[in-house]
Amino acid sequence: MRVRLRFFAMLREKLGSEAECQVRAGATVAAVWRGFVAEHPEVARVQVRFAVDEAYVEPAHRLADGDEVAVFPPVSGGTGDAMAASVACGRPPAFAAGGGLA
Amino acid sequence: MFQLVDRPIDLAALDRAVRDAKAGAIVTFVGTTRNENAGRHVRRLEYEAFAPMAAKEMRSLAAQAKRRWGLRKVAMAHRTGVVPVGEASVAIAVSAGHRREAFEACHWLIDRLKEIVPIWKKEHYRGGEMWIGAQQGGPPARRGR
Repeated sequence: MRVRLRFFAMLREKLGSEAECQVRAGATVAAVWRGFVAEHPEVARVQVRFAVDEAYVEPAHRLADGDEVAVFPPVSGGTGDAMAASVACGRPPAFAAGGGLA
Repeated sequence: MFQLVDRPIDLAALDRAVRDAKAGAIVTFVGTTRNENAGRHVRRLEYEAFAPMAAKEMRSLAAQAKRRWGLRKVAMAHRTGVVPVGEASVAIAVSAGHRREAFEACHWLIDRLKEIVPIWKKEHYRGGEMWIGAQQGGPPARRGR
């Protein structure tokens, strides 16, 4: 099946606005992203969250043919800290352990 | 009133939107663009939103806050695009029967908005720029303050 990935902010600057992926039927969001990242290692360490139909979904969410997955880098957060996107290379996000994104 | 706008936020309209005969308090939070972050001089900021979802998430947060604190009305607005230093980038107004609920709800709303509403901020400096938020989970950033 085919799904479309949409990118925002720093991901959009690195990858363009969107990408189409051919994936196996019933693939999870995590699996799709893992496959995509394998071909785009420059974003492998970016913390991401996913949304489908304008609502957040878990990495284990199963996709249907034609779904569009919005891939979000961290939102501004307002912690008062700042670091360049180019050095955002820390540990993968907490959910990656379960989602297998690492 | 839940808005993403690419021009200055109309604070008076936000205030009007939450006026209510049963309200004894209106609390407004206005987030403004600051000229420094982590010791760097910021010349301007830029916001990018996933607009349809951002509006939906704002409405959902407002509904949650209304239930939790028994608020009268909530209004929220966020700028997108380039915002010069010193201008409002986000504003939240809350009306409630009494000030305590209004203060608490407004505080909760801005914290939640920054955590989950899909809006990203980019700071432009002399000779560089960076997306803010990318630091989470990374090595410690240069500390602000």
